[in-house]
Amino acid sequence: MRQAGIYSGVVSGGRSGPHLLPLARIKKIMKKSGDDVKMVSGEAPIVFSKACELFIEELTQRSWTVAMQRKKKTLHKEDVASAVLATDILDFLVNLVSDSNNPLDLAPVERETLVS
Amino acid sequence: MDDDQQESMLPIANVGRIMKQILPQTAKISKEAKQTMQECSTEFISFVTAEASDKCHKENRKTVNGDDICWALSTLGFDNYAEAIVRYLYKYREAERHKANQNKANSSQDKP
Repeated sequence: MRQAGIYSGVVSGGRSGPHLLPLARIKKIMKKSGDDVKMVSGEAPIVFSKACELFIEELTQRSWTVAMQRKKKTLHKEDVASAVLATDILDFLVNLVSDSNNPLDLAPVERETLVS
Repeated sequence: MDDDQQESMLPIANVGRIMKQILPQTAKISKEAKQTMQECSTEFISFVTAEASDKCHKENRKTVNGDDICWALSTLGFDNYAEAIVRYLYKYREAERHKANQNKANSSQDKP
């Protein structure tokens, strides 16, 4: 019988049970990231399941701040794109969030308001 | 988006669930926003892994481990994650140790 307490605190929100993101899929993505990546320890996908959760939470919060500034109740792709553009450490995503249909022609967002 | 593409990214249902958790109850999320988040978080894994893998390569190590990921996160500017993860990793290792001890204890017992 699984003992609650030790492991349940490991998953966010004190919820016991599996991780929020599938470990096998994470491992697959890691291996595809480069030819160099041949072996991945058992812990690495576990670390990423937490890191990705934090990443998604942070980007979602920043995007929502933009949506609220635009007086919207629905989070849209453009809000995520604006949040990416306003955050230095998310520079690696700039190309991903802009496409030929929507070149970086987004309503400017004050950078100061998004810096935590 | 075809199946192959979906298979090479984090599942959109899981991503959507995490997004929903952090937003107010009344907030709505467009499908495109979820897709974008799915792509961004997948790219996040690739980006951080590449950095970690580079370090391993330079140090002549074959296996990318949890500590390498933590190091890469810090190097790339995600230091606030690194701290939370060091704690998470510690708890995970404790849990694994506990599980291993439980299994040992269970297997040495005579069950009716």
